[in-house]
Amino acid sequence: MGVLLLVLIVISALAVIASGAWVAVALIHAICPPRGSPPARGSAPDAQDPSDDKSAGRVADKSGD
Amino acid sequence: MDTVLSGAAIALYVVLLAFVAIRARAAREFEEFSVAKRELPLALIFGSIAADYIGPGFSIGFVGRGFKSGFLFLAVGLAYAVQNIFVGLLVAPKLRQLKNCYTLGDAIGQKYDRKCQILAGVISVALCTSFSAVMISAGSVVLNDIFGLPRWLSVSVVAVVTASYTTFGGLRASVITDAFHFVLFALLLPVTLLYALLFHFQGGAASFFQQAFAATAEGFSSTPTIQIIGFVAAFLLGETLIPPYANLALASKTTKVSRNGFILAGIFSTLWFTVMIAIGIIARTVVAKDTKQDYVLLSFTGSIMPHAGYALLLVALVSIVLSSLDSLLNAGAVVFTQDIIRRFSKLPDALALKAGRYSTIIIAGVAAAAAVFVPSVIEGLLVCYSIWAPAILPALILGLWLKAPRPLAGILSMGVGTCVAVIFQFVLPTLIKVPAIIPALGSALLAYALGHWLGKPDSGRAGV
Repeated sequence: MGVLLLVLIVISALAVIASGAWVAVALIHAICPPRGSPPARGSAPDAQDPSDDKSAGRVADKSGD
Repeated sequence: MDTVLSGAAIALYVVLLAFVAIRARAAREFEEFSVAKRELPLALIFGSIAADYIGPGFSIGFVGRGFKSGFLFLAVGLAYAVQNIFVGLLVAPKLRQLKNCYTLGDAIGQKYDRKCQILAGVISVALCTSFSAVMISAGSVVLNDIFGLPRWLSVSVVAVVTASYTTFGGLRASVITDAFHFVLFALLLPVTLLYALLFHFQGGAASFFQQAFAATAEGFSSTPTIQIIGFVAAFLLGETLIPPYANLALASKTTKVSRNGFILAGIFSTLWFTVMIAIGIIARTVVAKDTKQDYVLLSFTGSIMPHAGYALLLVALVSIVLSSLDSLLNAGAVVFTQDIIRRFSKLPDALALKAGRYSTIIIAGVAAAAAVFVPSVIEGLLVCYSIWAPAILPALILGLWLKAPRPLAGILSMGVGTCVAVIFQFVLPTLIKVPAIIPALGSALLAYALGHWLGKPDSGRAGV
């Protein structure tokens, strides 16, 4: 039981570290974008899922009734 | 030597923070200041939500709770994970779908009417300022511990540093610096745990289990059931969609990013609580039993870590505070501009941006002045939680889900929820034994039902 508990705790700690590493990569991309990538600002301000358009339409319809 | 190492670690941190904040760049229009042009990717949304909710309570506080009551608070913390997952599944995508929506007040205004938006704005600004005061107070305590600065000076340093990059960079700067802070403490605190397990914990798995069992049993025997219910209610509802989280839901690149950001942040909270509580349990074999809960983490790491590691951990604690504070300042400023100033005058974009910047400075100033009067971090947070959930959540969530929400229901719910929470929290705190959040939430729901029954849908509702 004790061993299982310790293993779970170590896995949790490693998962937290992995999350930190994932966000670190995204942070580096955000502040130092790789050459040739589209600029972070001014690009497609309302980019959404295809599903958004459908639901946005629903909201617009609803708010107009 | 200790002071030199601590100073070097802090200096390195300040240089890195300045670099990151400068790279985030100044916002040029209100949409960028308020919702970062709605182009934030999943990793940054997730990192920012997690960095916002991991404040002093979820780090220093949880280590202390693990020390005194073992895994009891992991069970309580699960309510927080559930809340985030529900918000991700049911609320965040609906918010993101709304057009021309910059704040929760905008959402409420679109669903009810202008008066409801203004009331939601006033409540949100008051709560953001109060939360900011608690965070500035917590940051000043950490700076005071490191440098021995007088209270007024440490309060000023925390407020000025955070307000400076938030004022110019808006939400994008806040999110980017949040990610930087998140990386720092998501690496440093689990490494502290692994270091302690490898080099400073004697007795192996059996001893750990024994300590964990003893602490958890002590926790259950010393905490009344009604108090546990109160904690679960506060964790489940108290921080739900407070303005900084709502702004992140609105700033996500897509509805999918908005949904997944909250779900991942909910799952992450369970992992984080497990790490914090495990540090608290290991600390039982290192730190004196009568150590105050808020000092367990500092005493423990001070005892086991080399000086440089200890200094780095202090930096992580500062970053935990700043990451929560910058989002609150930005959210408060955006709400003040969008839900209050813009409801009374048609500001062009450039003036709205200017108003947002000045509002950031004013909110930081008021919060810094109030920070001196904050009794304790946890008490301050619980007061804010008790008011936020009853004041806003019923009107917001029911408004997003009902087909024709009535403005009267929104006004009554927000007004009654706020008044009942304030009465039970400040005027008659000993009148009932349950936490204020429970009767206040019940009253807000009843008031909403009454308003929905008596009121009529707003005939002119066509989005604000």
